[in-house]
Amino acid sequence: MVNITINGKVVRATEGEMLLDVIRREGINIPTLCQHDALEPAGNCRLCMVEITRTEWDGWKKYVTSCLYPVEEGLIVSTHTSELHEIRKTILDLLLANSPHSDVLQKMAEEYGLHKTSYEPNLEGDNCIMCYACTRICEVLGKSAISPVMRGHEKVIAPPFGEEPPDCIGCLACAHICPTNVITWTDENLTRTIWKKKFELIACEKCGKATISRDFAEYLIEKRGLPKEYFNTCDDCKRVELAQKMGALVDKAKEVAL
Amino acid sequence: MKFQFEVKPSLCTGCRTCELACAFSHTRDKKPGRSRIYPIAYAPDKFVPVACLQCDDAACVKSCMFGALKRNETTGAIDLDRERCVKCMACVAACPFGCALVDEGHDNEIVKCDLCGGDPACAHFCPTKALVYKKIG
Ligand code: SF4
Ligand code: SF4
Ligand code: FES
Repeated sequence: MVNITINGKVVRATEGEMLLDVIRREGINIPTLCQHDALEPAGNCRLCMVEITRTEWDGWKKYVTSCLYPVEEGLIVSTHTSELHEIRKTILDLLLANSPHSDVLQKMAEEYGLHKTSYEPNLEGDNCIMCYACTRICEVLGKSAISPVMRGHEKVIAPPFGEEPPDCIGCLACAHICPTNVITWTDENLTRTIWKKKFELIACEKCGKATISRDFAEYLIEKRGLPKEYFNTCDDCKRVELAQKMGALVDKAKEVAL
Repeated sequence: MKFQFEVKPSLCTGCRTCELACAFSHTRDKKPGRSRIYPIAYAPDKFVPVACLQCDDAACVKSCMFGALKRNETTGAIDLDRERCVKCMACVAACPFGCALVDEGHDNEIVKCDLCGGDPACAHFCPTKALVYKKIG
């Protein structure tokens, strides 16, 4: 355990733990976009910037991305100075310039008194902030179906060659994790479409309700050794099955008692 | 100390008090959560409360590729870490008892029984004692 100071308060933390986690545990709110607990920290959005110093630094201080900064004994941290306010505002201003239509960014910028970007807005911006949360989560899944690619002068996230991603299994993790909701998908009856690829959704064999994509289920069955039958019915019907099984046990017990 | 639910279907009237207790004890942002427990009719007028069995070799834990489901060693419950969940619905599809659920009132978050941190509200409020949380061993 180490002792660090956050906004004047001494806080205990585990050595090597990321500063952002300690800050959050203290109930202090700082904005972030690219951080997610299922991902290794990447330091891509830079919003989680805080100020650090140490007594022996003699008043010298520096700014670090807290999501990537492992804590060490004696660290003195400030999370809400006027300089930090300006830094975060500038970052949001730049992000907004690139994605002026993003409601998520607009809302965050508002909190810093920024009603619109002070830069030239890129009206064709697609709201992607290049935080790579999508490609990183697909990697955690073990698929790495999508990656950043160069298209003209711009980097975009896309499947290889811009075609249907052969390794995608339609789990939607990338779409759900995207902080600016750029990745779209549709579920129509039993067909899911994401990255222009179509997937069959498993229909509950009892009631027909759509569950997860067949490719995803097959991946879980293979990777995690789950029985195939678990995926045949939806959660609602499985609860009823459980009730019936429990009921059957009760009735049997009664017969025995009689 | 180990605890376990004791369920007596013969006493369950299907009154849904457990369901209400669960929803209210999982209130967030002033909205009750989706109940994690349901009294279900297994025959006409015969009910049994159904909730997560906190399985030893749990399918939900295995199905989560993102490490969001873990056993809580203090309560014995399998807890879902909302900050790690990416809502892929693998656990909802994998649980053989249908006890990982989608909470539509809270942005389609995934929820499951967490034993209320060790003191289940459902059992407290069951008026007929069809559901009791009991010390075992
Ligand atoms: S939907 Fe496809 S691309 Fe997105 S995380 Fe899942 S497998 Fe990867
Ligand atoms: S929905 Fe969440 S908890 Fe369930 S398997 Fe997916 S990431 Fe894990
Ligand atoms: S949260 Fe730290 S850089 Fe994005």
